[in-house]
Amino acid sequence: MAGKMRFGIISFAHIHAWSYARVLKELEEAELVAIYDDDPERLKEAAQKFNVKDIYSDYHALLKRDDIDAVIITSENAKHVDQAIAAAEAGKHMIVEKPIATTLEDADKMVNAAKKAGVKFQTAFVMRYHDATATIKQVLERGEIGEILVITTTNHGKYPDLWFGDPELAGGGSVMDHTVHTADLMRWYTKDEVEEVYAVSGKNIRDYLTVEDTGLISLKFKKGVIGSIDCSWSRPSTWPIWGDVWLGIIGTEGYIVVDAFRPNVDLVKEGERLQWVYFGSDCDKNMIADFIRVVREDEEPRASGWDGRQALEITLAAYKSIKENKVVKLPL
Amino acid sequence: MDKLRVAVIGAGFIARVHIPSWKRIPGVELVSVVDIVEDKAKGYAEEFKIPAYYKDFREMLEKEDVDIVDICTPTYTHAEIAIESMKAGKHVLTEKPIALKMKDAREMIETAKKQGVKFMVAHCLRFWPEYVVIKRIVENGDIGEPRVARAYRQSGFPVWAPWHFDENKGGGVFLDMSIHDVDTLRWIIGDVEEVYARGGVLKEKKSTAYDYVHALLKFKNGAIAYVEGSWIQPEGYPFSTYMEIVGTKGALRVDNHETAAVKIWRPGQLPQDFTPNSEDAYYLEIKNFYEAVKYDKEPAVPGEEGLKTLEVVLAAVKSIREGKPVKLPLSEEVFA
Repeated sequence: MAGKMRFGIISFAHIHAWSYARVLKELEEAELVAIYDDDPERLKEAAQKFNVKDIYSDYHALLKRDDIDAVIITSENAKHVDQAIAAAEAGKHMIVEKPIATTLEDADKMVNAAKKAGVKFQTAFVMRYHDATATIKQVLERGEIGEILVITTTNHGKYPDLWFGDPELAGGGSVMDHTVHTADLMRWYTKDEVEEVYAVSGKNIRDYLTVEDTGLISLKFKKGVIGSIDCSWSRPSTWPIWGDVWLGIIGTEGYIVVDAFRPNVDLVKEGERLQWVYFGSDCDKNMIADFIRVVREDEEPRASGWDGRQALEITLAAYKSIKENKVVKLPL
Repeated sequence: MDKLRVAVIGAGFIARVHIPSWKRIPGVELVSVVDIVEDKAKGYAEEFKIPAYYKDFREMLEKEDVDIVDICTPTYTHAEIAIESMKAGKHVLTEKPIALKMKDAREMIETAKKQGVKFMVAHCLRFWPEYVVIKRIVENGDIGEPRVARAYRQSGFPVWAPWHFDENKGGGVFLDMSIHDVDTLRWIIGDVEEVYARGGVLKEKKSTAYDYVHALLKFKNGAIAYVEGSWIQPEGYPFSTYMEIVGTKGALRVDNHETAAVKIWRPGQLPQDFTPNSEDAYYLEIKNFYEAVKYDKEPAVPGEEGLKTLEVVLAAVKSIREGKPVKLPLSEEVFA
């Protein structure tokens, strides 16, 4: 494949789509050719912002084009499945936003469709591409803190609003939104699968939401590593940054803390609240650049569709545990 | 008015912290120190200029005319010393945890009542500056109703006090260390109704006591909390604490290193940071108990509070053993 890799973006419903589009404009080896959205206003806004001429209100029409190599699917969680299967059948490589689906059946269908079509299926686990977490992967591989004993994690956030509070479109609340990133990092670091999940969710911080906005998860991996995830949307709207991805990794011979989005400049404008202005790694850019490399070199993505499926299973196990107030064994 | 006469029992780490606080209070006379290791008692008596030392606390109770007994011994000995002291008519301040067994804690509470003496459990975080401020912020309603909290407390294994290796003496990291966060969260958020915990002896294989535990707490009012206690941090790791509470109207958090008032780098040594305070928590705690005795007031942390907190940390141990969530109150003892 010579020249630029030609991309389409399927929906700007997920806020991350806007950052991915920016990256596609910035990367030498990429070109944003066409975009789709089922919201005409949003489609128009994205087309203007990113100067894209080919706009679609039917994603099948976009997928029919022979001059598009790959798509990024950033619609509402529940809509991924149909779009991903259609993309695979159209022979497009794809990056799918996390969580890749809202049910395991959907995730399996997506993984199988990509496999059958022989296209690359990368899950947008941007945290595998963040330079902080990727550096620590190397530190762990070199055995610098011995064997991993415990991984404590948080993926806090503000309430993202939009459709994230819609149980149909999102498939859940904060547990659906914020479990998968650090669950995936734990799988990546331990090279192991989760055996057992227990989770709790309490009274909501925001009483107007119909989905949960708190969640605490306790995990055990097959080889014995203990993990935990705080996936709560527990940051007020006035918090200086959107949230965090934090990991404390206890090894037999050391301890590591990753606070991936801590590199920030403090900014206070007269009469306004403190803001943190980020200066850390551009994980979205790293992720898309690596996707292009993986497609060209015919390798497996660092975060595959299967990884997306496995992290979703942990999320669904957490919901089951919350509902039944019991420890849930995997696989489901 | 006569000074209140105090005996400190146990000449270890925490006594070294308590003794100077007792000596700061003008209305107190520190008359005696006790340790089953006679040399330790003698050493403390000399170092802190305490007139008498004993090997046996019973002998001290017989021979010395003391008003207050401050129990700074290993956890498994608290109940016996407290009950005997109360029966001898002494007011008792005991280190946390109140005991390892709920029945012992109940007997301590009942004996204090029967004897008409003051009894307090030394949950020092209730006097610790940042937690006092957190309590005030939450009580002011500044963050609304608490909904989700997290707390960490991390260090290496307390090898300097070898009784911690035996779970029937110290109970492990959650009983000994995370009890601070559990007590503080109970104090601020309210009663706990259910506990799930995971952990075990992960690193210190000489130990029968758990060296790592994390627990998910459900409070009666619908709040939840993650509490983590680690004694498996690498050698040289500084003692670290963290707490955040998020409520319906806001969030708060504090980290002991980020907020340290002083940082010191010495050549070839790990950096040190801390927040000096002349009115430190131990002094305020001891002063509180002194005033409770002197002015016949309820002490800040009565035995009942110590028992409620004990029950939560015991539930965490039970949950690990059974691999499932545990509802409170507990129907049976956790440690034999």
